[in-house]
Amino acid sequence: MELYGAERPGIKHYKPGTVVGKTVAYLVMGLFAFMTVFPLVWMLISSFKTTTEFRTNMMGLPIDWTFDNYRNAWKIGEFDKLIGNSILYTAGSIIGITFLSLLTGFAFAKIKSKATKPIYGGFIIGILLTTQSLMVPLFLEVTSLDRSLGDLLRSAGLVGPSEFRLFHNTRFGVLLIYIGSALPTGIYMCTEYIRGIPNAIIEAAQIDGAGYFKIFRSIILGMTKPIAMTLSILNIPSIWNEFALINILVSETSLKSLPLGIYKFSGGLSSDYGKQFAALVIGMLPMLLFYGAFRKQITAGVSMGALKE
Amino acid sequence: MVLPSLLVYLFVFGFPTILAVVLSLSNYAGGTMFGGAPWQITGFQQYQRLFTDPYFWNALKNNIFIVLISVFGQLPLGFIFAYLIYRRIVKFGEFWQGVLYVPAMISTIVVGILWSIIFSPYGPLADIANHSYANAYSAKLAGIFQATGGLANIDALTERIIQASASTITKVFTDPAVELKQFLLSYNLGDSSTVQNDLVNLLAPRWNADFLSKNNIAMIPICFVTLWMWTGTYLLIFLANMQKIDRQIIEAAQIDGASEMKILRHVVLPSLSKVIANSAILCISGSLSGFALILAMTGGGPARITQVLSIYMYDKAFMGAPDYPLANAIAVMIVLFSLVLVGLTFAFERRFGGKE
Repeated sequence: MELYGAERPGIKHYKPGTVVGKTVAYLVMGLFAFMTVFPLVWMLISSFKTTTEFRTNMMGLPIDWTFDNYRNAWKIGEFDKLIGNSILYTAGSIIGITFLSLLTGFAFAKIKSKATKPIYGGFIIGILLTTQSLMVPLFLEVTSLDRSLGDLLRSAGLVGPSEFRLFHNTRFGVLLIYIGSALPTGIYMCTEYIRGIPNAIIEAAQIDGAGYFKIFRSIILGMTKPIAMTLSILNIPSIWNEFALINILVSETSLKSLPLGIYKFSGGLSSDYGKQFAALVIGMLPMLLFYGAFRKQITAGVSMGALKE
Repeated sequence: MVLPSLLVYLFVFGFPTILAVVLSLSNYAGGTMFGGAPWQITGFQQYQRLFTDPYFWNALKNNIFIVLISVFGQLPLGFIFAYLIYRRIVKFGEFWQGVLYVPAMISTIVVGILWSIIFSPYGPLADIANHSYANAYSAKLAGIFQATGGLANIDALTERIIQASASTITKVFTDPAVELKQFLLSYNLGDSSTVQNDLVNLLAPRWNADFLSKNNIAMIPICFVTLWMWTGTYLLIFLANMQKIDRQIIEAAQIDGASEMKILRHVVLPSLSKVIANSAILCISGSLSGFALILAMTGGGPARITQVLSIYMYDKAFMGAPDYPLANAIAVMIVLFSLVLVGLTFAFERRFGGKE
């Protein structure tokens, strides 16, 4: 009976100071959470007001709820095209990044070669660089290559006189550069993960006469589902929201992605608040839904992705 | 098996890096690069131009500012929040964590435009402030009307109103004593509530919240939004790694009578030092290349005062007449700058970090 009164280790003992401390902690947390949520809710509510109403009734609920903002913003931003492009870019890049990272990670982790160390090191340096800081040389690279290749093929009579496009203003170019940007981190994560797979499994397969590609297909792909999942979940929001690169890689509306369409609402349309808010909500919603659906996995993925050595 | 990745990697990182270095030393002025109009290496004159351009130093200063705010703002805040949740000092950890990470999921463009509206002179901040100013002023007026007997006693009323609105009245009336009296005389005796309303509209102090158009403070909203956006990410990272610490160590420390501060200093901080250093690197390279947020918030304005290096580079290459050599020199500077900072972080961690 005495045992119930005994203090178990690990249970905190409350001192007078802790109450004050806790209150402060809750206040700070609460303030931060409020500052996070409030602007977003305010934006959502404002998107249902007409611009005239927004000017006079900035903080309250709308008196007349209107959906016109969405209808107009959707039309002006041509979001029906952009969303398709965004889905394509995101899905294509994710498949490319995951496949190439796993393949290369497998080679680095399990195939012994003298070249592994320097090449792997080269990829690791890429983690520290960002493609955004290289956007000018990247732009010059893709445009010059297109021009030179076009000249070359034209003189060989292989293409017509129209502008030749391979890298600039093409979906292929965007995908290529998105995949490349995410490869260093992806390869790093996959290499570390595949190193954890016991060598014995691979050696057993080799004894059975399987080549590296067969081992990759039949063993590695199956065992790396968790890391493939993490990699995809980390990259989906960053590619969906990417702006700086696609801004210079693509100039035709039919190829643009969602963030580019929303950026249109920051300049000349900026005094038309109603449409602006609607466009912002359209831009925010897909990733919020994604977050809602995969919050657990995203949380786990983010903390894993930061474990770079 | 490595080849496809290597080719893509060289296309996206390797070749552009070399191109940036080469072109920054050249006089390339656009046009066909390979086998077209000739261009040649001309030496370090682009860097000379860069170092004598006041806008470069301004952009660099802003960049350093953002890096400092990010490293010494996002990381500590994220750490504190993570610690509060980890040690169960606040309950509902999952909830806070879930909420604070939301901004990181939203497109930077959306965030930038949203906050530029909030900070604008016609935005809600100004609106709230001006409402409260107006309310305070209208309360003051009501008091004055009560004390003087309202429109029946115009001379005293005029005098008191002039006293109460010293800061704004000269902007509305050139000779307040005469003109305000005239103004008040134009109302009927029974109109005292109308008159008060009109006076509030005319004379209540107004706050012109032009954060983003005033030179000296335009960086403050940008830094604030940077904090707003990324603190949750570091909260997640730190919390996940704290949860990996063996709970028994902490319980043992508690039994030995260690205070909360001691646990933090001697158990949690040392075992997280590597994670902190890595987060700092993430933070540095992220804030150095931060581009979309500022483009959407201010576009580098007013008068290029909020430019950071990446916006400065973008401006040189894509706005107006392209100046590719200079833009490439900036790209090289950004890469060098981030490598230096990352090196410093590593050195710092090695010197002061916990042993594993």
